[in-house]
Amino acid sequence: MNYNFAFLDEDTKRMLRRALLKAVAIPGYQVPFGSREMPLPYGWGTGGIQVTAALLGPDDVLKVIDQGADDTTNAVNIRRFFARVAGVATTEHTADATLIQTRHRIPETSLRENQILVFQVPEPEPLRTLEPREAETRSLHALADYGLMHVKLYEDIAQYGHIATSYDYPVLVDGRYLTSPSPIPKFDNPKLDQSPALMLFGAGREKRLYAIPPYTRVESLAFEDHPFEIQRWEQQCELCGAGESYLDEVIVDDHGKRMFVCSDTDFCGQRRAEASA
Amino acid sequence: MMLAAFAQPVFDSQRTFRELLQAMARPALPRTLPIVPPAPAPIAPAAMAILLTLCDSATSVWLQQPDEEAMRHLRFHAGVKLAQRPEEADFALISDPGSMPALDVFARGDLRYPERSASLIIQVAAIQSPAAGKGGSQFAGPGIRDTATLHVEGLHADFWPQRAALAEQLPLGIDLYFVAAQQLACLPRTTRRLEG
Repeated sequence: MNYNFAFLDEDTKRMLRRALLKAVAIPGYQVPFGSREMPLPYGWGTGGIQVTAALLGPDDVLKVIDQGADDTTNAVNIRRFFARVAGVATTEHTADATLIQTRHRIPETSLRENQILVFQVPEPEPLRTLEPREAETRSLHALADYGLMHVKLYEDIAQYGHIATSYDYPVLVDGRYLTSPSPIPKFDNPKLDQSPALMLFGAGREKRLYAIPPYTRVESLAFEDHPFEIQRWEQQCELCGAGESYLDEVIVDDHGKRMFVCSDTDFCGQRRAEASA
Repeated sequence: MMLAAFAQPVFDSQRTFRELLQAMARPALPRTLPIVPPAPAPIAPAAMAILLTLCDSATSVWLQQPDEEAMRHLRFHAGVKLAQRPEEADFALISDPGSMPALDVFARGDLRYPERSASLIIQVAAIQSPAAGKGGSQFAGPGIRDTATLHVEGLHADFWPQRAALAEQLPLGIDLYFVAAQQLACLPRTTRRLEG
């Protein structure tokens, strides 16, 4: 069977492209779009896949990561999908990619101006768990009324003594729109601020896309007496020894033995290659 | 005889879109469009590249100078709806910026849907990024590290005051694509022109 280049038809790509340009022009605002049925189920990154399909050209080099790893099921499948329907080159090296689609991490290696990062987003609306009605959250965004979120963070402090949100930590983009950074760990939030690379977000089931342009102010919500803090580990990566990267705790045998390793497999692999060279 | 459009519609529009996206993400920084298709006057080839990349039967286009040949060309190659009045336009093509209508005529979206706003493609005489202190205006905002300097030639004297007045309505606003020859520079609504 034959497909159009990058699977989507040209009308759909134009619709996505118009929406992406408006999303960039209104940083952090969720633009509705006509999400298509994709050959993967919702929840497997259909929003990110559609954004990637609208961007992709024959000269692109695509990297796909899932929780930082290039070799997990979701990442392998999406990479294989685009290699097949667009014939593009793929890579696992952050530095070699022109386009990076990600599920729930931002690579440890700093991105460049000529790279684009595409996020898969399950729930684009940061206020959704606090206010289920779309009509109402739309009004709250129109009025920039984000008191609900501040109350939620305050209740965390009242109950636990600190802000307990550790991923999908809400941000304010360019001082205007409250935005979900997608379920990235809050460890990655500082990388959203003044990023050299353009960042695009797609939510297929919720039919929304949004953008954080490069060199844009992105603040993680906090209070003066409870400033924003990222996760820290006492351990270092047991494979490459990194002390500054985001670590996953993995179980390695049947007796519950655990080890901490970098979540970013490419970053970890490069460090080990350098160390042994 | 009717002129051709993109030679390779799928790949030419993809390459053009990537330049548009980077231009919108990095305002006031001139870029070169990779492909400019033939275009009947008064549509400039660079403006035609944008129209062919973004417009189809789902968008309405308003032409400041509705030339019969140009309208037939756009209808045939892009299948666009042509808007009768500027306030109905998703995309407006300004081919004579000296006599363009006031900016507040165009759709600015509403607070619940700020993206339902016009995009203006403005054909100007020249776009330049002059060295510091050599003229041009300073711009700041999302997508710009510190400031950017851009000189746009061919706008009327009221243009910048009109645009500055719209800034009070953010996040409502209109987004601008300036084209001159093969050059392109964007100014989204969030880009501020610094005084002095």
